[in-house]
Amino acid sequence: MELRLSDLRDGESGVVISIGTSRGRGDADRVGRGWGFRKRLEDMGLTPGTEVTVVRSAPFSGPLEIYVRGSRLAIGRRMAERIFVEVKR
Amino acid sequence: MTENKFRVALAGNANVGKSVVFNQLTGLHQHIGNWPGKTVEKAEGTLHFKDYSIDIIDLPGIYSLSTFSLEELISREYIAVERPDLVINIVDASLLERNMFFTLQLIELETPIVMALNQMDMAKRKGIKIDHEKLEKLLGIPVIPTVAVSGTGIYELLEKAVETIEKRGKKPSQMNYGEEVEERIGALSELVQKIHYPYPSRWTAIKLLEKDEQVDREINKIDPEILHASENLAKEIEEIHGHSCSTVITSERYEIASRITREVQEVTPPTKPPTRERIHTLTTHKIFGYPIMAVTVLLIFYSIFTFGDYTSGLLGDSLFGLKPIFEGIFGTGVVGKLVWGGIIEGIIGGVTVALPYILPFYFVLYFLEDSGYLSRIAFLMDKFMHKIGLHGKAFIPVMLGFGCNVPGCLGCRIMETTRERLLAAFVVTLVPCAATTVIILGLVGRFVGFQWALALYVVDLLIIFILGRIAFKTLPGEPTALIMEMSDYRVPHMKTVLKQTWFRLMDFITMAFPLIIVGSLVIKMVEILNLLEPIASILSPVTVTWLGLPAITGITLIFGVLRKELTLIMLATLFGTANFAEKMTSVQMIVFTLVAMLYIPCIATIAALIREFGWKKTYIITVSEILLALLLGGITFRLLSF
Ligand SMILES: Nc1nc2c(ncn2[C@@H]2O[C@H](COP(=O)(O)OP(=O)(O)OP(=O)(O)O)[C@@H](O)[C@H]2O)c(=O)[nH]1
Ligand SMILES: [Mg+2]
Repeated sequence: MELRLSDLRDGESGVVISIGTSRGRGDADRVGRGWGFRKRLEDMGLTPGTEVTVVRSAPFSGPLEIYVRGSRLAIGRRMAERIFVEVKR
Repeated sequence: MTENKFRVALAGNANVGKSVVFNQLTGLHQHIGNWPGKTVEKAEGTLHFKDYSIDIIDLPGIYSLSTFSLEELISREYIAVERPDLVINIVDASLLERNMFFTLQLIELETPIVMALNQMDMAKRKGIKIDHEKLEKLLGIPVIPTVAVSGTGIYELLEKAVETIEKRGKKPSQMNYGEEVEERIGALSELVQKIHYPYPSRWTAIKLLEKDEQVDREINKIDPEILHASENLAKEIEEIHGHSCSTVITSERYEIASRITREVQEVTPPTKPPTRERIHTLTTHKIFGYPIMAVTVLLIFYSIFTFGDYTSGLLGDSLFGLKPIFEGIFGTGVVGKLVWGGIIEGIIGGVTVALPYILPFYFVLYFLEDSGYLSRIAFLMDKFMHKIGLHGKAFIPVMLGFGCNVPGCLGCRIMETTRERLLAAFVVTLVPCAATTVIILGLVGRFVGFQWALALYVVDLLIIFILGRIAFKTLPGEPTALIMEMSDYRVPHMKTVLKQTWFRLMDFITMAFPLIIVGSLVIKMVEILNLLEPIASILSPVTVTWLGLPAITGITLIFGVLRKELTLIMLATLFGTANFAEKMTSVQMIVFTLVAMLYIPCIATIAALIREFGWKKTYIITVSEILLALLLGGITFRLLSF
């Protein structure tokens, strides 16, 4: 099942499919504002095919703590909404 | 004597220990702490080894050689353009895969590299074993295991670095990114080879395919045809893989890093969750995280206050008791007055009023920084910071601002956009720094009550929130999202913490005490010349009529622009006692402190603001803070004396 990373429950894992530059899916505008952030996320290890675990999310729809390639990242919820993952449910 | 000069740059991911290695090698003291993004500008130091004089350059930590952020730009410029003789790639052994992703990019740049496999102790604790000899073979670069904080392996690292430079030998061999990509890199780099471009052609080709803004722009100026060709090639790759070309290349790099890591690393995870994990879970907990944070902060201020209060009283009584002795020596004439009142009293004021609070404060801040708690607070505060147009990471410079606004303002560089850096810096200038804390705890806390000191902090936070919101509304733009690494908790390394506290204290003493002495001398002269009254009375419409303060405070507030704690120390000099309750009412102390807390960023902060944001913005910030302080001071005076 394809979900946004922000929709995962605490402790749930998924495999990265793609990172959208806007809220929508896909690779639409490569030079647009979201581009740098996608690049940063990929540079930190969130490339397509990578397993990522949502460790916990902060209350009041705050940021998410995720675990990827052995490191622990905090990412804002709006960022997490742009990351599409494949989840077994 | 002819000396051989080399330049060696330290590069690697954020928070891996570059600055610790730098300090070990050069004997300098770069800022160290357990959160990513401390070093924001390159630093240089020199080291003599054998017959060589080696310049060591500490670079900001980066995850990639792209141009996404300021740090990446600075580090890439240095490595690619200035071309050091060697790059020491510092790597966190407990996060080998992610760190190696960066190593692979360094290899593409074709600079000579030595890898320092740092934090071996942490890796071991996490049950990670690395075969560094095999790693050396697979990467084709020398690898030295190190534990930077204890100095283990640093000498070997240096030896290997020199040996590698001496050999000036082969470039590290390149990695293979898979057939479809390699073919196109090859085709493109042939085109690049024909033009005159200072970077390695393979690297340039890869950057073109990744659509790196800077390289694109520069190549376009030289030969737009090449850019055109690269766009076509990138499109082909995109069609084959279904992802953007930059994503494909990044994935390939990670693929290689992941494969090598699997080959050299053996992990036996600890059977029960280690303490640091349990502390992490607790301090980021949905419910408990916030009360824990509040209690921690409260405890910190309370213990600093208790320590400062006690020590300050003790020192004040005994040091001011020396007056008769000095008068015996220098007499009570002009000379005696100048020596006692101008010099000695200034120093005593500095020692009794400032040091008892500043010393424990620095210590606690460095302790917290080295533990790793700051990034957890940033995580918890993300949502709150969005309300003032920032994200959680901005809370880190804010917390540094509690120590001193200057590093706070510089620390704002960890924010991604200019707008966010400015917003965050504005907030930082409103944060009460250690010097202001001296006034809050040393005046209000000591003579009115700790709860009133606390109330002042709360008022300050409210002001920050309200003004932050106003600034956010006047500086339009969407807040960007948080992306931050939360490094593992660590037992703070005591030697590092103590060392940093000590150097900071020395900075304080060498910066503040000359000012205190000169300030006190000037004040005494003014007093002897009977000019205190006239000057004070010029300001009295503001100080006396509007704020309800003793007229003399006007003069100390002028000195406070130099350093905030001067307001209080000068006050002690003018009163001839550090027992302020004899000379001021509680309301006066509260109003005075509130004004001193907000009325202007000190001169060093103003200088930092000008450097980072220019005159105009600094001017606006400064003037609006003066007006705000006066406004609030007057209102508070009227409310409290009601
Ligand atoms: N246990 C352990 N801790 C280390 C070691 N090396 C560095 N540290 C700690 O790691 C943290 C980061 O060290 P820094 O030298 O400040 O890191 P940096 O790479 O300069 O970081 P940035 O400037 O933020 O990019 C500090 O808390 C150090 O005490 C090590 O070998 N072992
Ligand atoms: Mg550093």
